[in-house]
Amino acid sequence: MRESLMDIICCPMDKHDLDLEIDEQDGDEIMEGRLVCTECGEVYPIEDGIPNLLPPDMRDEAAA
Amino acid sequence: MTRERDTGAGGSGGAEGPADSARDLASRRGMETSVYQPAEDSELLARAAVGHAEGRTLEVGTGSGWVAEQVASETAASVVASDVNPGACRQARERAERLRAESESGTGAESERTDAGFEVVRADLLAPFADEVFDTVLFNPPYLPTDPDNEWDDWMETALSGGESGRELIEPFLDDVGRVLAPGGEVLLLVSSLTGYEDVLAYAEARGFSHEVAVQESYPFETLSVVVFSQN
Repeated sequence: MRESLMDIICCPMDKHDLDLEIDEQDGDEIMEGRLVCTECGEVYPIEDGIPNLLPPDMRDEAAA
Repeated sequence: MTRERDTGAGGSGGAEGPADSARDLASRRGMETSVYQPAEDSELLARAAVGHAEGRTLEVGTGSGWVAEQVASETAASVVASDVNPGACRQARERAERLRAESESGTGAESERTDAGFEVVRADLLAPFADEVFDTVLFNPPYLPTDPDNEWDDWMETALSGGESGRELIEPFLDDVGRVLAPGGEVLLLVSSLTGYEDVLAYAEARGFSHEVAVQESYPFETLSVVVFSQN
C-alpha cells in the first residue's frame, strides 16, 4: 500500500483514524507494518503490501 | 456469474456454457477454485465502469482484480480494490503491481499514465473506508440464491452465494454505501434477474437512491444489468 491510502481508510470497528507504523518499505510501497486505531487501539497488520482491515473476529484465513 | 450449479444441466456443447458449475468450469480451465475469475458479469461491470468511473473509485469484492485493472488502465480514476478473501487480495495485488510496472516502463498500452496501478485492501464490504471519500463505488456481488443446506463453506462459496434471497451481501452494501460516497458520487452495482431485480431497486430506493440502467444483457439463465445509483 501507499501512504496516500491513509486518506480513505479508517478503523472498521469505530471509523476513527488510523496511525501508520512502517516496518519495511519498497520505494513508495509500504510492504510490512501495521495500522493502529487512534481510538480503540486495535492493530491491523500490513503484510506483503496488503493492509488487512478485517475486524479481528473475521481475520482467520479459512472461509467462514 | 451465469452458473447453475444446482441443476446439473450443464454441457450443452458450449466451451463455457452458463449451465456449468463453477467448479467444473474452473477445473476445465485448469484454475484454482478459491478466487472468482473474470466472467460475463465482470466484463459487463468493467464496460459500464470504464464509462462512469472518475475521481476516487472503489471496487468492492474485486476477486482476481480484473475489473479494477480495466478501470485503472482505461480511465483517469484512482482505484482501490477490496476483497474479504486473502487469496483474491494477493491475486489482485499481483495484477496491480504488473500494471504499475508496465506503465512505468512504458511498454503497456497505457504508457501515458504515470501511475496506472491500484491499491488493494482486505476488507469486509465497506467497513474500513472513511465517510464521503469515493466518487464511484463498483460492486459485482455474490448473488446466487443458495439453499443453506447446500453451501460449500469455502472461498468460492463466499464469492458466489448471496444466501437464500441472493441479497445477503447486496443489502448491507446498500445500507452503508451512502456513507462512503462523496457528494454527487455514483454506485455501479451488477444485478442479476436471479437475485430479484425489482427487490434490489426497491431496497435501494428506500435508502434514498435513484437509479438508471447502464448496460443490460440477457443470457440463457439470467439477465444481467449494471445499475447506476445516485443519491437523491
